[in-house]
Amino acid sequence: MTVKVEKIEGGIPHTTIMVAGLIASVVCIYLTYINVLTGTQLFSFFGGLGTVAALVWGSHTIKHLCSYGIGTGVPSAGMIAFGSGVIAMLFATKYGIAAPVVAVVLAAVIGLILGYVANNVLNMRIPVMIQSLVEMAIIGALVLMGYAAMMTGSFEFTSLTTGNVVILGLSLPSYQASFLGGALIATAFMLGAIAIQHPFNACLGPNWTQDRMLMLAAECGFLSMITAAVMSMPLIQMSAALVSLFVAIIGWFYTYSKYIELSQRDAAAWLDSKPIPEVEGQ
Amino acid sequence: MESIVFGIGITALAGALATVAGAAENTESDIGSQGDPNSQVQLAPQMGYIHRIFNKAVAGEPPAYGLWIALGAGIAWAFMAMQINPILAIVLGSGLAVFVQGVYATTAYLGRTASLAKFGQPVYVDILKSMTTVTMAHAFVAIFTTVTLCHLINAALGHPFPLPLLGIVWGIALGAAGSATGNPFYGKERQYQNQKFGAGVPIAASGNIVRYAEAGERNSLDNGWFSAKLGGPASGVCFGLIVFLELWRTVLFEQVGAGWGAIIIGIIIILVFTVIDRYIEVWARKNYGPYQKPTEEASS
Repeated sequence: MTVKVEKIEGGIPHTTIMVAGLIASVVCIYLTYINVLTGTQLFSFFGGLGTVAALVWGSHTIKHLCSYGIGTGVPSAGMIAFGSGVIAMLFATKYGIAAPVVAVVLAAVIGLILGYVANNVLNMRIPVMIQSLVEMAIIGALVLMGYAAMMTGSFEFTSLTTGNVVILGLSLPSYQASFLGGALIATAFMLGAIAIQHPFNACLGPNWTQDRMLMLAAECGFLSMITAAVMSMPLIQMSAALVSLFVAIIGWFYTYSKYIELSQRDAAAWLDSKPIPEVEGQ
Repeated sequence: MESIVFGIGITALAGALATVAGAAENTESDIGSQGDPNSQVQLAPQMGYIHRIFNKAVAGEPPAYGLWIALGAGIAWAFMAMQINPILAIVLGSGLAVFVQGVYATTAYLGRTASLAKFGQPVYVDILKSMTTVTMAHAFVAIFTTVTLCHLINAALGHPFPLPLLGIVWGIALGAAGSATGNPFYGKERQYQNQKFGAGVPIAASGNIVRYAEAGERNSLDNGWFSAKLGGPASGVCFGLIVFLELWRTVLFEQVGAGWGAIIIGIIIILVFTVIDRYIEVWARKNYGPYQKPTEEASS
């Protein structure tokens, strides 16, 4: 179906959200590099903030793409974002400090190829398909890199593949106890893939409002960040993990209460233990 | 020989855990109207049928359970890497995963309902409070049992995949089993008890789901009660069989022909089930026949 069935009226234009999301996400991921400069791991939480920025942008991209009537395909959009993003992200980590930029460029290329195949080979012919898949791949790569930076303190390949196992008080390097070796990347994949599709999937309908959906996107991002902070505990210093957890809980609590307020504003009625209202003609 | 006996014991235990997981998963998703029955719950207010059914569409069941189980497994893995006792680690992991599930459920209900304001569907706070907690309880059972069986596969049977990766694989399998087996009991049976049995759902009846109960108004706990009787156990048997047969063939036949034994047995199992399914389908057609057009007396 190529007819645009839902319009986005008012609110912040998509281009603004895209540019802001991209810049905020890349800058936040780069801020985790302060860890290397200062020799601590306390700045790992910036990786989590980068994922929140990317997820907010991603939820609006899905809205943009799905306004062409791909109603049931909302969760699958999250899957393709991360499926294409994970390739770019893993490859880019080999490039040291240039990793986030390489990830963006590489993901854009992968997204372009996927978009071309979807539109021209599979003949979907959706006008925003190519642009959306490029954006989705970049978002997938950035979110995964953000989680990697948050859980390991760095976005470089060596730190993703080495962890520490404490045996009888001795700390030994181990591949098994690392972000990749322990397959925490699988959990990060699902955390991001559900968080990116949920805001639009939950808020779709005739009374969709942009601020409510974006607030939900931030809420999903911080909620995922809470669990990512818990999973980072064996990989980085406990103090750094607790800082991430603290930031995530504050962010989650604020966005969750805001989201409930916005839902209360938009809902037809807010009832407690009331029967089904009488509707005319029944 | 001893290792095979041990392996079969673990297989039986994992199968039993999977059966409990399947039953809990399907009841949880039915209370939340997740999966394909969701479309009718979502459609009902648009057709003028305001209802008191819980509508938590996080995603389809397979992706959603992929996340809950992978999350429970990931957090349990992290705690185990910090030298915490596995049972405690799995409980803590499942607890945190259930917290995430509960938050997703509330945001999904609020979001979907607020977006239907045009049709006058109100947000029922009592529904939100009572249904979310019940789905969280069922989800805890499903997540805990599935993460435990993943841990058994990894630690006792020596599967090379780390716990979170097994979690994502078995989580998606659990969601798929519950979605394919259990949902018809809710989506095709319970929602349309006011239609003639076997009549299908004509366009005119779309969205006209049952909204009133024997006494008062039906909510999703009634649906959970209904589907816990048949849909839940059916999903449990389905997922339990999947886990049991998968591990059984691996434990017994992996040594045969450098691993090819297990693959060949797997193909034979698929063929046996194909024959059984075909037999049931033919038997059902013969006994109940194809859908008949309404006769003259029925239409007059």
